[in-house]
Amino acid sequence: MSQNQLNRQSSISEEDLARLSKEAEQEATPSSLRIVWNEFKADRPALFALVIMVVFILFVMIASLFINQGQAMATNIMDSYDKPFTQFFLGTDQGGRSIAKQLILGSRNSIGIAIGLTIISSTFGICYGLIAGYFGGIVDNVMMRIYDFMLMLPITLFIIVLVTIIPNYNVVTLTLILSSFYWMGTSRLIRARTLSESKKDYVAASKTSGTSTFKIIFREIMPNISSLIIVDTMLSFAENIGVETGLSYLGFGLPTNTPSLGTMIANANDPSSITEYWWTWLLAAVEIIILTLSISYIGQVIRRATDASQRLGDD
Amino acid sequence: MSLIEVKDLEVHYPIRSGFWNRVTDEVLAVDGISLNIEAGETYGLVGESGSGKSTTGKSIVGLEKPTKGQILYKGKDITKPSNRRELDYNQDVQMIFQDSLSSLNPRKRIEDIIAEPIRNFEHLDKNQEKLRVLQLLDIVGLDADALYKYPHQFSGGQRQRIGVARAVATNPKLIVADEPVSALDLSVQAQVLNFMKRIQRDFGISYLFISHDLGVVRHMCDNIAIMHRGRLVEIGTRDDIYNHPMHIYTKRLLSAIPETSVEGRAEARAHREAVEQEFQENQSRYYDKDGKVLPLVDVSATHKVALPEDEIEEEDK
Repeated sequence: MSQNQLNRQSSISEEDLARLSKEAEQEATPSSLRIVWNEFKADRPALFALVIMVVFILFVMIASLFINQGQAMATNIMDSYDKPFTQFFLGTDQGGRSIAKQLILGSRNSIGIAIGLTIISSTFGICYGLIAGYFGGIVDNVMMRIYDFMLMLPITLFIIVLVTIIPNYNVVTLTLILSSFYWMGTSRLIRARTLSESKKDYVAASKTSGTSTFKIIFREIMPNISSLIIVDTMLSFAENIGVETGLSYLGFGLPTNTPSLGTMIANANDPSSITEYWWTWLLAAVEIIILTLSISYIGQVIRRATDASQRLGDD
Repeated sequence: MSLIEVKDLEVHYPIRSGFWNRVTDEVLAVDGISLNIEAGETYGLVGESGSGKSTTGKSIVGLEKPTKGQILYKGKDITKPSNRRELDYNQDVQMIFQDSLSSLNPRKRIEDIIAEPIRNFEHLDKNQEKLRVLQLLDIVGLDADALYKYPHQFSGGQRQRIGVARAVATNPKLIVADEPVSALDLSVQAQVLNFMKRIQRDFGISYLFISHDLGVVRHMCDNIAIMHRGRLVEIGTRDDIYNHPMHIYTKRLLSAIPETSVEGRAEARAHREAVEQEFQENQSRYYDKDGKVLPLVDVSATHKVALPEDEIEEEDK
């Protein structure tokens, strides 16, 4: 009935639909992907960082498919501490294992864990923060006390204990253990923004439009805090590379026969390695520095793209 | 039967304080008001800031949970969420917000904003839905190229018209307009108000028009309720309120309407000062000893006022 009423009031009818939608598309604002790309073009160092990241991650992921981990990690006393560019491209460590192969496998493991950890912990942290912030009141109170309790736990010690208790652990279980402890920072941040966001009128308008609570939280509020989410996720990704490598460096990360950037840096734990056998640890350390720097550059660009007042690439 | 009946509505907010953070006091935002909105009419709710008019409006759309009282729609009390769901209440009762920018989701395109209630209440296919959105934009005087834009690309008046389009999208029976034009400049106010009037005429919608601007209310409303300190001080038709105001608060509001005649300036000022003086001197007679508004008393069939009985007799003479 209301359609008929509308037809009477408005001069627009179905014949105009195609023409008018086409007109509207011409006037449409650029998509967010295009904005991000313009922003990268305006910031050369960030573009360079993006290229490095993409090429490096692709290379590591693809190259590691062609390397047999068992073979690469097999000890061969005869090749102990070979210098780079002699028999092996990047030399060998004490056990005569190729540094180049370890670097590729180790990067894959470390980056894989960092990505997995970031995805799981950020997703959980974001949902936790959104729900606590949106409902407020007693829900918020209970959820934040759980948060406070988690924050109080000595995380590193807990992980070390868990790693020693679990008999058989690998990349996947380590990721899961780590993610159950690293969601807190994100959740508090998201909650704070959700608290202020959920009081705004557009949320009330959505309620009166009959939108379900679930949709309001994830389709209305979440896009509005997306810049915060992206920046936080980017930063925690850089941080998470450090989490795994730090644990592995201490010897509580991945098992010893699984290479990682952390276990490679752990080669530098005696004076003779640091001075004489620099190739066993230096490359892994440089790689971590480059990765984290690149991530923060990319994160900056994305933050600028989501905030119209900071954009460089608008012209 | 009225479209909506509000009966003894009360909305109280707790004030927490002290070491245990217990409820120590209450803010009586709305303190027992009753009003009936008829189909097709514009009902004005007028009062100063903090008088509880927005809270009343929000309770009627279901955004605020009343502490006490009933709001009856089709014979059901819609203060209960289950009744609202059962009736698809918000398909029939929509709201226009004061702040047009914050009431439109900045991350959504105009098409998605206007289509939101349509998607939730009526399940149309994609083309029908887009056609409906285009027609709605046309009715509020916006071009089709607004479809894929974002709210911040529009001016205040255009945004408020988008808000109006969203509110009429599901063809509601009642729209609660919470100070819809007070954030706009005067020429744009007139434009938005005229669109609202046209839509009312074409679709037979009732408005609950919440405002503090008596000039605008006079232009828009058939029946008017004046609110002060969470209670109604006077209810009446436009003629009752503007030509025969009885309560001192109503007189005060009316004397505050700005006038642009240079000759009448001294006279208007003297009148304003006289009303103010009467208010200051005789406040105790119009309000009870706690400063609350007195209960409403019938003066005529349409006119009710919160005055003591003897005062009404005096006024009648």
